[in-house]
Amino acid sequence: MNKYLVSIFTNLKLTSRDRMALFFSYAFPLMFFFIFGQMFGSGMGGGIVQVVSSVLIIGVLGNGFFGAGMRAVSERETNILRRYKVAPTSAAPIVVSSLVTGWVNYIPSATLIITLAHFVYGMPWPERWFSLFVFLTFAVIAFRALGMIVASVVNSMQESQIVIQMMYLPMLFLSGATFPIDAMPVWLQSVAQFLPASHLYNGMQGILVKKESLLENWMALVAMLSTIVVASFLSIKLFRWDKEDKIRTSGKAWLLAAMVPFFILGIYQSYSHESIGKNKQLARSLRRSRTILIRGARIFIGDGTVIAKGALLIKDGKIQQIWEGDGPEPKSVKADPIEAYGKTILPGFIDTHIHLGAPGGIPEKYPADSKAMHKAVARELAAYLYSGVTTVKSVGDSIDLMRDMAKLTDSGEKLGAELFYVGPMFTTEGGHGTEYFKKVPAAFRKQLEDSIVRLPKTKEEAVRMVGELKPQGVTGIKAILEAGGGSSHFNRMDTLVLAGIAEGAKANGLPLVVHTGDDRDVGDALAVGASAIEHGSIRDVISDGHLAAMAKMHVAFAPTLAVVNAVNALAAGNLDILSRSLFEQSAPRGLIEATKKALGKEEKKEGFAFPEDLILSNVRRAAAAGVMLVTGTDSGNVPLIHGPAVHRELQMLIKAGLTPIAALKAATSNGAKLLGVANRIGYIKPGYEATLLIVDGNPLEDMSVTERVSLVFFKGERVARGDLFDDDLEETAK
Amino acid sequence: MTPAILVRNLHKSYGDFEAVGGIDFEVRPGEVFGLLGPNGAGKTTTVEILEGIRPRTSGEVTVLGYDPGVDVKALKDRIGVCLQSTNLPEKLKLHEAMTLFGSFYSRTVDGNKLLDRLQLGEKRNSYYSQLSGGQKQRLHLALAMINDPQLIFLDEPTTGLDPQVRLEIHGLIQELRDDQRSILLTTHYIEEAERLCDRVAIIDSGKIVAHGSPKELMATTLGASTVEVKIEQPLPPGDLPKEIGADRIEISEDRKQISVTAKKPARAMVELVKYIDQLGLELADIHLKRGTLEDVFLQLTGKKLRE
Repeated sequence: MNKYLVSIFTNLKLTSRDRMALFFSYAFPLMFFFIFGQMFGSGMGGGIVQVVSSVLIIGVLGNGFFGAGMRAVSERETNILRRYKVAPTSAAPIVVSSLVTGWVNYIPSATLIITLAHFVYGMPWPERWFSLFVFLTFAVIAFRALGMIVASVVNSMQESQIVIQMMYLPMLFLSGATFPIDAMPVWLQSVAQFLPASHLYNGMQGILVKKESLLENWMALVAMLSTIVVASFLSIKLFRWDKEDKIRTSGKAWLLAAMVPFFILGIYQSYSHESIGKNKQLARSLRRSRTILIRGARIFIGDGTVIAKGALLIKDGKIQQIWEGDGPEPKSVKADPIEAYGKTILPGFIDTHIHLGAPGGIPEKYPADSKAMHKAVARELAAYLYSGVTTVKSVGDSIDLMRDMAKLTDSGEKLGAELFYVGPMFTTEGGHGTEYFKKVPAAFRKQLEDSIVRLPKTKEEAVRMVGELKPQGVTGIKAILEAGGGSSHFNRMDTLVLAGIAEGAKANGLPLVVHTGDDRDVGDALAVGASAIEHGSIRDVISDGHLAAMAKMHVAFAPTLAVVNAVNALAAGNLDILSRSLFEQSAPRGLIEATKKALGKEEKKEGFAFPEDLILSNVRRAAAAGVMLVTGTDSGNVPLIHGPAVHRELQMLIKAGLTPIAALKAATSNGAKLLGVANRIGYIKPGYEATLLIVDGNPLEDMSVTERVSLVFFKGERVARGDLFDDDLEETAK
Repeated sequence: MTPAILVRNLHKSYGDFEAVGGIDFEVRPGEVFGLLGPNGAGKTTTVEILEGIRPRTSGEVTVLGYDPGVDVKALKDRIGVCLQSTNLPEKLKLHEAMTLFGSFYSRTVDGNKLLDRLQLGEKRNSYYSQLSGGQKQRLHLALAMINDPQLIFLDEPTTGLDPQVRLEIHGLIQELRDDQRSILLTTHYIEEAERLCDRVAIIDSGKIVAHGSPKELMATTLGASTVEVKIEQPLPPGDLPKEIGADRIEISEDRKQISVTAKKPARAMVELVKYIDQLGLELADIHLKRGTLEDVFLQLTGKKLRE
């Protein structure tokens, strides 16, 4: 029989008779499994996946270093390998059989752990089980090979202990297998990227948690494969049969050679920070997977109904179940309890009209480069989340910036409100939206215009331009139809061009929202089939016919009362809004002071003021006509610093005469409908995302209590609101 | 017939230290050749060079027609080796050991039959760890024969075994010789060499100091035999008669034990008994101690073998 097969079978038999080996392959991981399971509270959805990854990694490390490495050294030390020396064979059958044996032993152990996780802690079966299987196969063989090369370069049992511990311990503690890696300082996270086990952890978590494929983990896979090849080759070449044959100390450098693929990966990672980002996402997934029971609170369902006292079960990021009354005992549903008597649970608020590229205040220093801009916008999205505004829609910003930011928050790498965006605004030469560029030096004007506006001249051009945006990830289109009034006049977009935009939007399945300034604009927007009217009319009465048409065609109306109110207050020299506690809590440090200072210096001009009464009456009439109102704040316009303005919008809706329930619907389910995501957010219903806002008090009696944000949940994660602005600290430290 | 092993002017140096300093010998087909020498004499180095597991510095070496420095694999495939102090995994069953090691060779014999032959048939399913010292050694012999080798290297095959087991192993080695296999045996045990070897070479400090059959070696050595006598009464003072022909005479302090070394031990014995009888002393015991390889070794090297 083939010597490889015989060696493998013999090795397998020996391992199956070795009680220590069986203990370390099966009993040991099981012990860890149950200890970690209890520690992490896996019964409450506390990262059973994390526990499984940890145990599987501990298994791989043990299998490689102790199962292969230590054993080979011990066989040499006890003169077992000596016997092979005089037989006509190379070390290849011995090394290969060790690799294969480790694998054969490991796979059932891993299967056992996953099965137990499924049945004991309710972990779903791994969706990507084949990827996991292949990944683990590579992993265990790579670590066996590393173990074998350790055996080849050490001269004694003591030396092997030292070398193995030097590799094993850092890998155990820094790979993420036992300690949450995202909690470590960034430099340490970078160092960890040089450890093979970190990539093992990262890949395994990716496959288990993010349901990634093998291909998405190709780098780790290639590194492991290279290690298998290099380490196997070297350990065969450097294999020593006799304890009397010593290897020179410099021979230990070969061990480093076997790790070269991982050094390369480490250098790449410390440059790209890809894994560090991924670790953050993974930690986020973990936090989103917990089971939580919120009891005793008033629940605003989103469709207008209210449960006076109810309980809410959150599991795996979703709303699992709702009870009227006190609900079940937390233990009976294996959940972490949160007592919320006297509070109100609402679907997270939605702001459908913001401009993230503008800070909303007047900072001492504007972001100097793209990196600073990204940071500033991330901070803004965090401020929304802090304020309980869990979903926002940018209606006019650089498309590249928005795409990057949406990716950052969607992946979970950074916490922030979920971002929808239209990218650039469609307007016309000299139209509203272009006036901001007049002050910009000509050299930059073109670039800025390109990123923020589109100026189609014909219908065909409009259709084409819309079509070009779709592949860039926009979730809607915005057009500006506005001739201005009073002292400011704008070129109004040709209605044919608007029709082209609408046609393009319809063809691409993108909802079109139209900025309007008066009733005529509203009428033209409705004529082309707009999905929403932004602002409505600030100059005249919106006709009953138009309101009726909006109601009939389910066209949403975002009256942006917050900006109307704030601009008018500003014109009157009143900046009280910036003294609202939620603004003070969530604004970037120093921005409010700088804004107040800058505005105070400005000459008192005969400020432009909106006709607030007219605007409010339009809104009241719209509500009465059955128009679907949504909350949009136009934050980004001074003085609306990003974050809490929806609360002001709600108060303004009440002022306009809406019922509290109608106002709250505007901020929740109506917004979700406009964004086309009413099947997952905007309501508190089983199966919906657990994206919630809990406020102290009853907004149905007093809308201002929404500003008293008690807790925010985002996709099942209880947002640590106090930690959202940690980056500010870093900034201050610099 | 071409010799199984031919060694001409073999040198092996480790840096400045010369472990083997130009030795010559040959092992003929079917003979048991003994390599005797104390630790550090260069025995093991020499044997390992022959087995192909250690390179030589210079000299001509042919083993079964192969140069061990070149055709290592082909050579290993053809020879059997029983190394000193090797082990097998504790939980390895005997028949598995035979299969495992058999898998490395191009030509093998039936492992079970081999186990039977070495009286290990009943232990076929036992673990290596369950074997006694002698059984382990027999297993190693069996493993050395799995490829039906024409040349077997036995490195200290009985070291550490008790006398009974040692005899058992001697029997097996004799059987191997009866199969017409060539055997190169290294040993500390003089009796083993005397008993088993057709020819021996005595190696010391990397050089062969004597060479030949045990008998030849002993014959070439002076004063090989000693007559030892015990008497009941003390021997009166005075020289022993010249007729005894003694090369060396030792008399104990109480003058009751006499030891006479002579070239013609039989003659010496007769003369000594005659003399004691004449004195009217009573003879308590008499025996003839024959010269051994040990004596030869001692004489040639000034060292004892087991130093």
